[in-house]
Amino acid sequence: MPKILSADKLDNCIERWKSSGNTVIGPVRKSNISAYRPVEKASEFELDIVLPDLSIKELFFPQTEPILKYAIRKQAIDTTEFLPPSGKRIVFGARPCDASGVAIDDPLFGWDYRDEYWFQRRNETVIVSIACVKADDFCMCTSLNLAPDSTMGSDILLRPINGGKGWLVEEITDRGRDAFASIADLLQESTESPVPPAAVPEKFNLEACVEWLKNPENFESRFWKEISVRCIGCASCTYLCPTCHCFDIQDEGDTYSGIRRKNWDSCSFALFTMHTSGHNPRSTQSARWRQRIMHKFNYFPGKFSLNKCSGCGRCSRQCPVDMGITETLQEISKLLP
Amino acid sequence: MSIEVQYRNRAKELLSNGEVKLVVGYTGGTTPERRRPVFISSAEQVDRLVLDDLCIANLSGYLVTESLLSDEKSVAVFLRPEGIRSINILAAENQLNPDQIVIFGFEPAGNTIKALDGTNALEFSEFVVSLSENPSVSDSDPVIEKLEKMSAQERFSFWQDEFSKCIKCYACRQACPMCYCRRCIVDCNQPQWINTSPHTLGNFEWNIIRAFHLAGRCVECGNCDRACPVNIPLRLINRRMAVEARESFDHFAGLSMTQEPVLASFKKDDSETFIL
Amino acid sequence: MKEHNHHSHQNIYKPAVMKIVARHDEAPGVKTMRLEFQDPADHELFRENYRTGMFGLYGIYGEGESTFCVASPETRKDYIECTFRQSGRVTSALANSDIGDLITFRGPYGNRFPIEDFYGKNLLFIAGGIALPPTRSVIWSCLDQRDKFGKVTIVYGARTVADLVYKHELEEWEKRDDVDLVLTVDPGGETPDWKNKVGFVPTVLEQAAPSPENCVAVLCGPPIMIKFTLVSLKKLGFEERNVYTTLENRMKCGVGKCGRCNVGSVYVCKEGPVFTAEEVSRMPAADL
Repeated sequence: MPKILSADKLDNCIERWKSSGNTVIGPVRKSNISAYRPVEKASEFELDIVLPDLSIKELFFPQTEPILKYAIRKQAIDTTEFLPPSGKRIVFGARPCDASGVAIDDPLFGWDYRDEYWFQRRNETVIVSIACVKADDFCMCTSLNLAPDSTMGSDILLRPINGGKGWLVEEITDRGRDAFASIADLLQESTESPVPPAAVPEKFNLEACVEWLKNPENFESRFWKEISVRCIGCASCTYLCPTCHCFDIQDEGDTYSGIRRKNWDSCSFALFTMHTSGHNPRSTQSARWRQRIMHKFNYFPGKFSLNKCSGCGRCSRQCPVDMGITETLQEISKLLP
Repeated sequence: MSIEVQYRNRAKELLSNGEVKLVVGYTGGTTPERRRPVFISSAEQVDRLVLDDLCIANLSGYLVTESLLSDEKSVAVFLRPEGIRSINILAAENQLNPDQIVIFGFEPAGNTIKALDGTNALEFSEFVVSLSENPSVSDSDPVIEKLEKMSAQERFSFWQDEFSKCIKCYACRQACPMCYCRRCIVDCNQPQWINTSPHTLGNFEWNIIRAFHLAGRCVECGNCDRACPVNIPLRLINRRMAVEARESFDHFAGLSMTQEPVLASFKKDDSETFIL
Repeated sequence: MKEHNHHSHQNIYKPAVMKIVARHDEAPGVKTMRLEFQDPADHELFRENYRTGMFGLYGIYGEGESTFCVASPETRKDYIECTFRQSGRVTSALANSDIGDLITFRGPYGNRFPIEDFYGKNLLFIAGGIALPPTRSVIWSCLDQRDKFGKVTIVYGARTVADLVYKHELEEWEKRDDVDLVLTVDPGGETPDWKNKVGFVPTVLEQAAPSPENCVAVLCGPPIMIKFTLVSLKKLGFEERNVYTTLENRMKCGVGKCGRCNVGSVYVCKEGPVFTAEEVSRMPAADL
């Protein structure tokens, strides 16, 4: 019989998970921004939202992360590594688009050279997603062959039941099963049916758009300039994106001692690709926006067989000039025969 | 005739007779309450222009886009009063030639908007002076009142909290018409003036330096505040700087096209309270 | 955050420490350095992995890392030689380092020139300016096993005589009977006693007219030179699949993660920097 996690048992779950050494994390609103943050009790969660402002990405790939500490002595250089913080974590209330976003980046951080900063966190984190029953005008998971109740990247998928009393539990991975085994006695058997997932209309035909992107003739189409002419070149779309993974490596300190860090970086910035000689392969904003779209829907899928977009819609939702992936792909759709 | 139709007609006329090569205005956005910038370069497209009280963004920043004005042709732009002040500053700082800018001015009037008389920055001189005589700085913003009552320590922790959210996406800079530097100080690495990391220190450095660079230059259009994806109330910092500039130097940013930058000019009667 | 001093896992961002054992001024602003590994384990990894064409990230803590090729050949792995132009923050700091100073190195990264496939073939090397270093790595890798290859032709040009790098090696190649060296400088870059060609590399190459028969070309230079030289090679009858070149995109991680070297479907740091002209032609030209 299906199991239900009742909302009033959530505090007991948190307590149970914490007592076995987990940090419990979920959507929290603080200083007028919602993001995945550690909680002590269930009342801190803000679950009744379409999705948090900041994506889940930072839990695995923080905005800034120290990787090395250096100290330079007369005839030696001491390099000390920073390891990612170890410790089990349970992310409760992740959105399916966020969970799939993380899974999309796994092959990138793992091909040939494994980025342990990513994988140590991945291995120690259980993602408990809640299927969306609400969506807004910017949600577009269904256009990416995903859905408000996709299980990609989730270890557990919860489906809300009527009246907000709790969630129907669907175990996806062994990691999720283990995490929920520890709270098995807090679950109830039930025959209640879940609230149907949110209706997210399909915004564009991805396959057709990808065909257009793959055609080399379209690379220099006037379309790119026209679609991005109002882009102001900030990085908010890339920084809010659950799948954008680009980063910079920066030293802080002097030539005697300091810290080397990995910081988020963005293909929106002109400096991102600028050679020291001054030559810049992507010297215009339209070339940079084209790169972002091409990378997400042409290059990355060609390499890893995954679309580099989970349809969360944050890029469009937050864009200061109301641009975004949806508009671009919709406009491409209009160019199709 | 609504102001929207009136301005569409004018745009059509200017584009048809070649007086301007481009009209920078607003059009409908993703949702009914959104407006987005639009670039109209042919008379047939003027019906895309939308003008109502939801048109808030200051579009003047687009005018200093690299090489837009280098062919000496004119560009028309929809501007609120703050935008007109931005043009004055950009002209005063030699970033554009105001003769190339045709202004479609408008201002909020209750729940709607009304047209402003004039087509170029010079014609708005008196209007801008009248703005300076009635600075709307006293708009009662509850957060401002709260901040003013705080002790320095409390205020510091307030900003520490806010800046801790900064993700260094530089949307504030990119959205700001006054941030036109070809190479921003944060992008200079010889030496590295500002820490690029988005941690508390780096975030403080960035936001404080930016506030100083805007002191006496910010027209409080709110572009930065609206662009910030993590909702840092940047308007509060800039508003405070505007108040300081006014109280210390009787300076109202963007008063005229010949106004000297307040922090780069000296008058004998400047207050020197910071020198003991 | 926990700190760790042991190699409990491999940290892909941790560089090896190298000592500068020799330093040489090549041209105005251009220096060559010879570096030696300080940790035998790091050196062992380099010996195992380094093949000609690969690159590294050379760094000075406090300034950062900069990407350039390993200019020494795969036949000489006791050390690393690198040649760079002082232009940005890191290269300036490197240029100011002295013999005996310690710097860092990450690598070798990327793919390589498949020189086994060149066995028995004639070799045409074409380089412009500061791009002789990657070519030089392949040249010596081949000259160190000279009998495995046919005719060797080197066409090298720079803006001015002063800008030619590896002048001592140019002399050495000049003297060898088994190497044809064609040197040129751009018009106006010659000195009164310059006895070699004056003209741009593509023109000089067309005049030299090496035969495409059983020949592999290795071409390195600034983007504009590559563009025009490819046209000349085509005229001479070279097929794109027999022309190898390197792309020198900006990089930070070197290991296919940070995203900035991506052009078209390739991550230059992992799938490059060595490509055939055929592969390059499939990349979006506007993004190069």
